[in-house]
Amino acid sequence: MCGGPASGSVGGVIEIRGLTKRYGRTVAVDDLSFRARPGAVTGFLGPNGAGKTTTMRAVLGLATPTSGEALVNGQPYRRLRQPMYEVGALLDAGAVDGTRSALMHLRWLARTNRIGRARVEAVLAQVGLTAVAGKRVGGFSLGMKQRLGIAAALLGDPAVMIFDEPVNGLDPDGIRWIRELLRSLAAQGRTVLLSSHLMSEMALTADRLIIIGQGRLIADTSVGELAEQFNRGVLVRSPRPTELTAVLTGAGATVVAEPGGALAVTGLGPAQIGDLAAAHGIAVHEATPRSASLEEAYLALTASSVTYAAGGGGGPR
Amino acid sequence: MTGALAAEWLKVRSVRSTYVAVAVAAATVLLGVLFVLYAGSVWDARPPDRQPEFRAARPEQGFLPVVQLSLAVLGVLAITSEYATGMLRTSLTAVPRWRTVLAAKAVVVAGVALVVASAVLVGTFAAGRLAAGDRTMGFNTAPVADELPLLLASIASVVVMALLGLGFGAVCRSAAAAVTAVVGVRFLVPVVATLLPPPWGARLAGVQLQDLPATIAGVETTGGGEPAVGLVLLVGYAAVPLGVAAVLGPRTEA
Amino acid sequence: MVDLLAAEWLKVRSARSTRRVAIAVATVVGLMALLAWYVARLYDRVRADSGGRAEVSSPAELAAWLTALCLAVLGVRTITSEFATGMIRTSLTVAPRPGALLLAKAAVVGGIALVTGQLVTFGTALVSRGIVGDRPLGFNAEPLSAEVPVLLAAGLSVLMFAVVGVGLGAVLRSSAGAIATLCMLWYVLPIITINLPAPWSARVSSVMLQELPRQLAGAATADGLLSPLGALAGMVAYAALPLLAGAVLMRRREP
Repeated sequence: MCGGPASGSVGGVIEIRGLTKRYGRTVAVDDLSFRARPGAVTGFLGPNGAGKTTTMRAVLGLATPTSGEALVNGQPYRRLRQPMYEVGALLDAGAVDGTRSALMHLRWLARTNRIGRARVEAVLAQVGLTAVAGKRVGGFSLGMKQRLGIAAALLGDPAVMIFDEPVNGLDPDGIRWIRELLRSLAAQGRTVLLSSHLMSEMALTADRLIIIGQGRLIADTSVGELAEQFNRGVLVRSPRPTELTAVLTGAGATVVAEPGGALAVTGLGPAQIGDLAAAHGIAVHEATPRSASLEEAYLALTASSVTYAAGGGGGPR
Repeated sequence: MTGALAAEWLKVRSVRSTYVAVAVAAATVLLGVLFVLYAGSVWDARPPDRQPEFRAARPEQGFLPVVQLSLAVLGVLAITSEYATGMLRTSLTAVPRWRTVLAAKAVVVAGVALVVASAVLVGTFAAGRLAAGDRTMGFNTAPVADELPLLLASIASVVVMALLGLGFGAVCRSAAAAVTAVVGVRFLVPVVATLLPPPWGARLAGVQLQDLPATIAGVETTGGGEPAVGLVLLVGYAAVPLGVAAVLGPRTEA
Repeated sequence: MVDLLAAEWLKVRSARSTRRVAIAVATVVGLMALLAWYVARLYDRVRADSGGRAEVSSPAELAAWLTALCLAVLGVRTITSEFATGMIRTSLTVAPRPGALLLAKAAVVGGIALVTGQLVTFGTALVSRGIVGDRPLGFNAEPLSAEVPVLLAAGLSVLMFAVVGVGLGAVLRSSAGAIATLCMLWYVLPIITINLPAPWSARVSSVMLQELPRQLAGAATADGLLSPLGALAGMVAYAALPLLAGAVLMRRREP
């Protein structure tokens, strides 16, 4: 399908090593290091202005690091001869010449890396724009422009894909479409780096999470680990709290009595608590897991980014 | 209207292109002085009996096209930059009447052009006379009062050029197209007109923007029209494109 | 580089500015034909009392002069439109060499301008001569063959202006700024230099953009101070300097 050198859709990697970028006296990115690996969606998360876009521009050779390096497949981006076969990127879907048709936009892009016309038609079909391929991009909705930008990123069938806030301004259908596409790209063994300032979106899409604040790394973790870290146990209500407390502590849990007669249990899940209570003939009226939402976890992390940064820039591993 | 005016003034004040345009216009003072100093050195080198016949152009007139063009660009950008960024939709949400927005822009652009043109042209005029000293170089022999009409008409022509730019910008909605159109009207049409054989060459020559300041001031020109007619024509150059823009509406969709 | 050239060709081909510039150029040629027709008709009407002589400047050279502005605007737009939309980042992501990108743009626009310039000048010369026939109107006093060097040089000036446009666009990154600067070079500066006292008037005028083509053709009327080779060097320098500055700036400034 693809009219150029064979693509390697597995094995790509993005590596950021001690990346620092200053604009005058403003530090946009401060000694940032992380890796994005194949076969996973790496969520790149941080509040607006945290340095996500600057980092992505450094990866794509659009910004020159003040110090440190950003490597793609072990090389600085600017050294890639035909980059579209190695990296596909969507930075700003609106950054297209609105007077050109979608087809011509993709055709000139493809031509820079010797990608054939058949591949252009194929990606248009993949993102569902075939019917409007001849229309001027200026008349496209934001969702259609996002699809066009994704089509452009897919042209070279690259192993590494970079998306900067791809769901901004999309309707729920569009968001779901992008989410499923990103999941499937990672399932094919590609390295997917996805930036967002929305934790709720990341929780559904990303496997790994790189969280930054004020240009520094706050956390390099997984969705599961982050949820675990902010786990606050299970809230249990029972007509016989004293007996239940004895049973649960006997099974290794920590139990704290809460005002109103409820018990806060950590160390056991709701299912185990229910089973133990049943085995001892104790009725349980409620067993609610009280993990903080990922959104709360994220807000807690980024709110304290200054404190973490003072401790040396590293976060919980 | 007061709110719209204040908003437009803030917009003009807060973009870099305004300062570039004003700086280019202001460079005229310096260029004018250099021109007069050079002409003065030529005058000094002449034998005294040939000095009285020496004629140098008025520096503020020679560099007038630079001032006109830079403020016309300011006028163009006052509206096309909003089309380019899509900010016009925001502007029209804040002030939903297109003609009010356009009028506010026109007042602000005209005001800036008036102040800049007055400062730059009077500055060039004064600096030129100072640099010339007591040499008789043609442009500095008449009393200052006699030069005032031409100076004022030239200032008015700069204001008109800025409004012409604003009008074309609103009609074309693209900076490239609007600047090209301004260049066409101000610089190309006169050239083509002079190449036309009679009677059309003469007919068109009398209504050119470049000749109107002299016509209005009653200075002898090729066109040689009535000052009042010249003034009406000058106002027309500003009013017609703005009128067309007002009728066409904002056209922000696609 | 071949891929970049082909991609830039696709871009230029599919942009709206190109269609607008094409319409403008066609209008120029049409106007020149109209001018020739009007002059011929006028000549026939007044031949009796004018003694059968008239001087009309060459429609072909006028067409080249106007076409030069059109193609220069095209040159400006090929680069400033990318800065305006932010598409320059996409361009530099798929082809991460700013200097090569600018060179490819200049080459494609230059190629278009070269062909357009020659077609317009020779086309206008043939059409206007065909329209006026054997009426002596000055510009057709010499046979077309004698006019060839002037026409070639005038056509080349279109190429030079187009490349100047690309260079200025890369340096200034703004359509309005670049086109205004171009207009200063193309029209305002020559007018100002005419006002300079001698001998600098002639010296400076001879290196003005619009004076170079005739000197290149060895047909300068009065003030030509440059040899054809000198004029050629001047034209190359005008095209190359802004382009070079643009390439350096594109390397140094982050898009």
